[in-house]
Formats: sequence, structure tokens, C-alpha cells
Amino acid sequence: MKKALFAALPLVLSLCVTTAWAAGGPEIKIVGATASSTNVESLQRGARLFVNHCLNCHSAQFMRYNRLTDLKLTPEQIKQNLMFTTDKIGDTMNAAISPKDAKEWFGAVPPDLSVMARSYTAERLGAYLRGFYVDPSRPTGWNNLVSPNIGMPHVMAELQGNPTVKETVFKADGKDIRTTSDAYGRARSAFIASNTMASFETHVEKKDGKTETHYIVRQLVPATDGLMTPQQFDAAMADLVNFMGYVSEPYRNQRVQIGIIVMLLLGLMLPAAYWLKKEYWKDVT
Amino acid sequence: MASANKGPSLFKSPVMQWVDERFPLSSLMRDHLTEYYAPKNFNFWYYFGSLALLVLVIQIVTGIFLTMNYKPDANYAFGSVEFIMRDVDYGWVIRYMHSTGASMFFVVVYLHMCRGLMYGSYRKPRELVWILGCLIYLALMAEAFFGYLLPWGQMSFWGAQVIVNLFSAVPFIGPELAVWIRGDYSIGDATLNRFFAFHVIALPLVLLGLVAAHIIALHEVGSNNPDGIEIKKGPKGNRWSKDAPADGIPFHPYFTVKDIVGVVVFLMIFSAIVFFAPEMGGYFLEHNNFIPADPLKTPDHIAPVWYFTPFYSILRAVPPLFGSQFPGVIAMGLAVMVFFALPWLDRGKVKSIRYRGTLWKSWFAAFIIAFFVLGYLGVEPTTVWGQFGDWASFLDTRDRATWAARFFTVVYFAFFFLMPWYTSRDKTKPEPARVRYHEHEAPAAAE
Repeated sequence: MKKALFAALPLVLSLCVTTAWAAGGPEIKIVGATASSTNVESLQRGARLFVNHCLNCHSAQFMRYNRLTDLKLTPEQIKQNLMFTTDKIGDTMNAAISPKDAKEWFGAVPPDLSVMARSYTAERLGAYLRGFYVDPSRPTGWNNLVSPNIGMPHVMAELQGNPTVKETVFKADGKDIRTTSDAYGRARSAFIASNTMASFETHVEKKDGKTETHYIVRQLVPATDGLMTPQQFDAAMADLVNFMGYVSEPYRNQRVQIGIIVMLLLGLMLPAAYWLKKEYWKDVT
Repeated sequence: MASANKGPSLFKSPVMQWVDERFPLSSLMRDHLTEYYAPKNFNFWYYFGSLALLVLVIQIVTGIFLTMNYKPDANYAFGSVEFIMRDVDYGWVIRYMHSTGASMFFVVVYLHMCRGLMYGSYRKPRELVWILGCLIYLALMAEAFFGYLLPWGQMSFWGAQVIVNLFSAVPFIGPELAVWIRGDYSIGDATLNRFFAFHVIALPLVLLGLVAAHIIALHEVGSNNPDGIEIKKGPKGNRWSKDAPADGIPFHPYFTVKDIVGVVVFLMIFSAIVFFAPEMGGYFLEHNNFIPADPLKTPDHIAPVWYFTPFYSILRAVPPLFGSQFPGVIAMGLAVMVFFALPWLDRGKVKSIRYRGTLWKSWFAAFIIAFFVLGYLGVEPTTVWGQFGDWASFLDTRDRATWAARFFTVVYFAFFFLMPWYTSRDKTKPEPARVRYHEHEAPAAAE
């Protein structure tokens, strides 16, 4: 029994999180796994994904390759598996394409990823990476649930396949859905009940002096035509986000370790300081 | 050689005696430590003065080490901060201490000011102590504002943009004034350089001078205490001196050892933030500030750091007049400056909250609530509490939060401007003749 519990621990740690937020862009229901920042193997897998798929266009210009020894990798392993042959091990992670080309191809230089996980939070990054779907109306052929109409294509489509989206519009039609608030209620319950990632958007239109409100719920339909199964891809994205979290604060685990020692020392000082005060104040009446 | 000191030297060592003959070291130590008699009934609220001094030292020391690697250049500033965080040995400790220190400075100073309000520490004869304190608060706000631009993130840039643009609301000379402050038509390299100079040299000098003056003025008139009565007017003579107030005890060693307890507790809280939650959920280090400043991309939501948000709320709450934001700017400025007038607004018969009547206590409670609500609303967009329905279309804005901010802005100012009225009518309780030393000791009968 105990053994079984122990074995299930990593599973529990990487339990699916389901949350919603609404800050800039549509409200998103996130469905996806997370990985622990102390899980070195997850970080190593994430590093490989990051180098193979992100560094082609993005840079991580404040992150040095030799720092990856944090992840229990030898300099040799880093050189052979994670670096472009032209780079030196003390170099920072630069993009494979030049900023000039990137600007020409995408219209803007893809942002640096060094501290991306700190500005967008790991949760949101995970949702973004899992949020791509096929959209023929876009120049790249891809759209994203989290950041609609973003210029970035789905660079990991090879792994995931071609997810699509199921769009449902909830609108008062006087028949099945009588009022706007009915439409809202139905849209909310569809959004909340979704077992894949979903977005919720409110559209207000002015037509002939009247305002018309309708609600759009987009649900991701997972792909099965990739090199990975949906579960494998989900776990891979957890690893990638985990690694990006590491890149944004490589000293994080060290920070916590030192913090515990500092707190213990202060914890020892407190009774001493308190006793000193008590001794001195004995004669104050 | 005659001693430069009043009274005998405190030192046995010949070196220190040599110093004492040429410098009033013993006198200074007597006046400010060993023979500075502070009321013995200080409570929890009296830790924050010494803690403010501690944070000031933390900020100066960590600041010195940060400047060794920071580059005040629009092209390198953001990168140099990340360089400190990653490539400088323990640079992340220094940087997190400085960023946490900035917020904790305001936590400590707000509690210190709240103590002053509660116990009437600004009243005669401590008006000048209070005014110097208000000047420290102003200098601290400027110091924090200039420092916030330096990491050159999105919030640094746009926060500075918003605040400097306030000056362009000044009638007639506004736009030129804003250009003069920035040194450019928008926040740029010139702005970063001058803000760096202000943050690293000008304001720290001003702060240190003001802090010294604040303490000297305090030690001249003596500390107030939770009972708000003057120990100097009470009986004289204690174990250490026959002229000293009977209820006073030497600052050193009694309050130095007591303050050490406060320092350790404070450092535990401080370290917990530095090592376990340096961003404090985006309140101490804003998420958007991890994106390099981009003059072409305005963030969806610009909010100042939490310690400025009560005033930012007041700024947003005041409706524009003839298309000018100037009234809001005036209201915001007034909200800070009104603290200076406090010693003359308060006409209460007693100083301490312990003996004030219901009227004052209600206004004080309302003020504290207003300060917190305004602070919260300043962090959030004005749509945070939704909107009134169509019936409210005659209003200039239907945002509920804006109306709440307006209401609490009125409460905030009413606390100050109605003070002469409600303090003079307040039904106060009699003050004790001597300070109460034990917390729950019954007040001694009034004379």
C-alpha cells in the first residue's frame, strides 16, 4: 500500500490543474499537467525541446549554456546534445536565425525567452503552448486560443499533430434560447463543462441602434495525427514550461535552500534576543 | 588637553580618550543613547522607527553593490539587471534584498506614520519632528519613483511615462515642463541617466540629512508614548539621574536590546520574502516588468507599485475639468501634502487613541479603510467592480470602482479637513497622570 502511494507520488505532483483567468484576451479554461521544478529529468527533457523547437527563432540571451550543469548535465553532454556547433559553452543562448530575417518573416523579432516565464507565469505559458489550432484564415495557417491572431505558427505540430477548434456561438434566438441571459448561462456551462482547453468571449455589436450580445465558446479538439499521443504532448509541454521556468530564474532552487538556512539561523537568534531583552528589562518596574 | 565633552569620558582606552579630547563622542553617545530617556511604556508600534533605519541601511548597502554592475543605459539596463541576477555571485540575493527593501521601507514607514496618528505624536512640541518625517516620506516617494525606472522593464517605462505626463497637465507650461523633466520627448536614455543620478546620489543624500535631523529633533523634545502624555512634565528622578523623568529609561541598553528582538522578527519576514516569494505575487516585482521596456507597446493595464496606489486612485477618481487632468493631479498632490498640516488641524484635548472619544475613533477608522480601499482600487483597472446599469447613463462614468474611489477620496480628505471640527467636539476620556507601563493596567486617576 505504502509502495503504491509512493509510486503514485510523481503522478500526484503532476496532477492536472484546471483554472480560469481573465486578463488581456479571452477568458481561458486551462487543462494541462505541470511538473515540479526539482524534477531534474523533466527539466532535461524540457531543455531538449527548448533547444530543438524554440531556439530556432527565439533567443534566451541572458542564459548561458554552461549554466545547464545545474541540471546534472556534463559540459560534454551539453555540447553534444543541446548546442549549435558554432557556439562556445560560455555563450548565451542565441536564436538560430538573425533578428533581421526574423523581422522579415514574422513582421517582428520573436521575443527573448530568458524571463518569459516570469512575465507570463508558467500556467499561462503552458496554456499558450497547448493552445494552437488549425485556422486556414491566418497567414501561418495557425491560430491560438490564448493569444488570438498571434504571428507565431505551431512549431511543434510535428509532435502534436493538427488540433482543431469547435466553436459554438450562444445567441438569443427567441426560440430555444429566449434571452441574452439564457445565452450567457448556456455559454458559461458549456465553457465550464469542457474537458479540453476552452476560451470564453463576449461579443457586443451595435446593429440599427440596438446592442446585440452573443457569447462564443471555443473548445480545443485534440489531434491524434502527431508523433506524440495527446497525453505525451501534454507531459512534454509540462516539461518545456518547467524548463522555461528554470531559465527565467536558474538560481531558484538554490534560493530556497539558502532561505531555509537563513530562516533557521534567525529562528535560533530570536529566543536569544528575546531572553536578552527579558534579562535587561527585569528591573524596569 | 581639555575634553571636547560635557562630563567624563565614557571610554577607558587611551585611543578613545584621545578622540574624546578632540570630538564630543562621549557627549553624543550620552545625548542620544545612554542618557536619552525614552518612556518605558513603548509598545509594538514603537519598533518601526528603528526598523526604518535598518531598511535604509539595507537599501544603501545593497544599492552600492548593485551600482557596481548596473548600467544606466537604455540599451543595457534591462540586461545588466539580469546579468546581476545570473552572473554576479549571489547577485540575486542583493537584487532581491533591494527590491524587497523598497516595498518593506514603505510597509515600515506606513506603520510608523500610523503610530504617529494613533498616539498624536505630531502634536506640540513635536511638530517639527513630524514635518521632517513628512519630508522624509516625500523624499522616499521620489527615491522609489526614480529607482523604479532603472530596471527598464515595461512597468518601469510606462509607470514613469504616466507620472511624468502628469506634469504636462500643468496649465500653460505643462508640455515644456514634462520635456524638461524627461530631457527628451518621451522617456528615454537621457531620462534613465538623470533618474539614476537622482536615485543613487541626490535623494540618498537628502534622505540621510533628513533622517539625522528627524532624530536630532526627536531627541531634543523627547519621544511621545502610547498614552500621549509628556513624561518630562511628570515627576523627576530615576535610578540613573535625579533630573531625568521618572518614567523614562535610558535608550541604551533598554531599547537597543528591545529593538534587536524587533529586528530579528523583521528579518525573518524580510528573508521569507527574499528567499521564498521575491515577487510577492506581482506586488513587489510586477510581472510586466520582466518584459524589456518597449516604447511602441503600451501594456493593457498600467498600475504603479502598491505603495503609490492610494494616491493613484485619487488621481483617477477626480474627473477632468475643461478636458484637463490638472484637478486630479492637484488632488493627488494635496493628498500627500495634507499630512504636513496635521499638527495644526488636530484640536483634540488628548493625543492618544486610548483617551480619544468615539467621534475621532470613527473618523480614524474611516480614514484607514479609505486608505486601504483606495490602495486596492489603484492596483486594479477601473472596471474591477463592474458597471452600473443603463439607468446610470447620466453619469460621466458607469464604472462602480471609480465611484467607490470618489467616495473614499472624499472620506480621505474629510478626515483631515473636518479634523478641527470633530477633534474639538470629541468626548475624550481623562488622561492618566503617569504613563501606564503594563498593557492592561487600569489608568491612574486624572489629576
